[in-house]
Amino acid sequence: VSAGFRAVQWNRDKVIYDAILLAGVAIYIAGFAAITSRLHPPKNLPDAIDIWIRASGTAAFLMLTVILCIGPLARLDRRFLPVLYNRRHFGVLTFLVALAHVVLMLAWYLVQNGLGELVTELTTWSDYGRFIGFPFKALGIAALLVLFLMAATSHDFWLSFLTPPVWKALHMALYVGYALVVMHVALGIMQYDRSPVVPLMLIAGFGSVSVLHLIAGWRERAGDTGSATTSGWVAVGPPGSIPDKGARIVAAPDGERIAVFRDGDEIGALTNLCAYQNGPLGEGRIIDGCVTCPWHGYQYRLSDGCAPAPFTERLVTYRVRVNAGILEVDPTPLPPGTPAAIKCPDIAA
Amino acid sequence: VTRSHRLAHRLIWPALALLVALGFTLALTLRPPPDPPKVAGETKHGNPS
Repeated sequence: VSAGFRAVQWNRDKVIYDAILLAGVAIYIAGFAAITSRLHPPKNLPDAIDIWIRASGTAAFLMLTVILCIGPLARLDRRFLPVLYNRRHFGVLTFLVALAHVVLMLAWYLVQNGLGELVTELTTWSDYGRFIGFPFKALGIAALLVLFLMAATSHDFWLSFLTPPVWKALHMALYVGYALVVMHVALGIMQYDRSPVVPLMLIAGFGSVSVLHLIAGWRERAGDTGSATTSGWVAVGPPGSIPDKGARIVAAPDGERIAVFRDGDEIGALTNLCAYQNGPLGEGRIIDGCVTCPWHGYQYRLSDGCAPAPFTERLVTYRVRVNAGILEVDPTPLPPGTPAAIKCPDIAA
Repeated sequence: VTRSHRLAHRLIWPALALLVALGFTLALTLRPPPDPPKVAGETKHGNPS
């Protein structure tokens, strides 16, 4: 990425990802509309539009649910990492499906010359003080604005401009967007459609997202407890305990994580934060001689934390040493790109 | 992700989840009774899905 600017970084994997995504969404929406039309044939144009409103609305809800499940799933099981790889395109498509839902809703009013009703509904301020009867479409519009903000800032330009920590903090607004969507559905269609499908869909979706986040968060807690020896160095364990081409993650006393990698007899410590999106570098592997981030495949040399040419990213490194058979890391970060890896020729394989 | 990001995540996510769970439960339990069957010729205006 740092080698040159391109509007969209497409490659073969991303094209396949996007093709599967588009096909899945098209099949779901078309299938939903076909089945609903057969079960409840529309009597007029508004009825027909209503079916497409439901199809696009449920598609957007399910897509958002899947997006929010991808993060914890990838942390719990590496097999989900490929889904994480191109999650941003998934997010942008979700915004477009949600936008289609809104456009169809406007069309529903337009074909009945009822836009005034919609305006009245959104501007009856006293209704905003009610719970049941709250203008639920306002919640949907707010959620769409959040999705727009996420989609508009999803490009690498914004990631680079805002820096990964700020960008990731901004994109946590997606949780607010999801909360708005759940309440949009709960105070909207769930109030006048007595079918159990709507509450069940909300419970399954929201429940899945919550449970997965709780499990992933619980497992992550242990990794935040930093400890250092009296000399100030952090013990990692015997050098041979680090899997070859893999890493062990330790926490510095301030709680930040350090990834200690082994490549044969070479051992080096890097920050656990990938320069691209602050991905968990220590959960990656050494591929083609480079430490490779599990999220998007960004690579760095173990010896000095620099990305191989023509790329220019550089990571913070840490000093390592073997003390009485135990590998230790100095938690004081070195300037990015500082060579700090060591050789352990007698390492146990 | 950074430690501060993880911390913010752990604070925001459970708070939002609790709020939504409460809102959803209230919305479900306070649902009005079903509408009576529609009369033939009734106008369509109301709410789309």
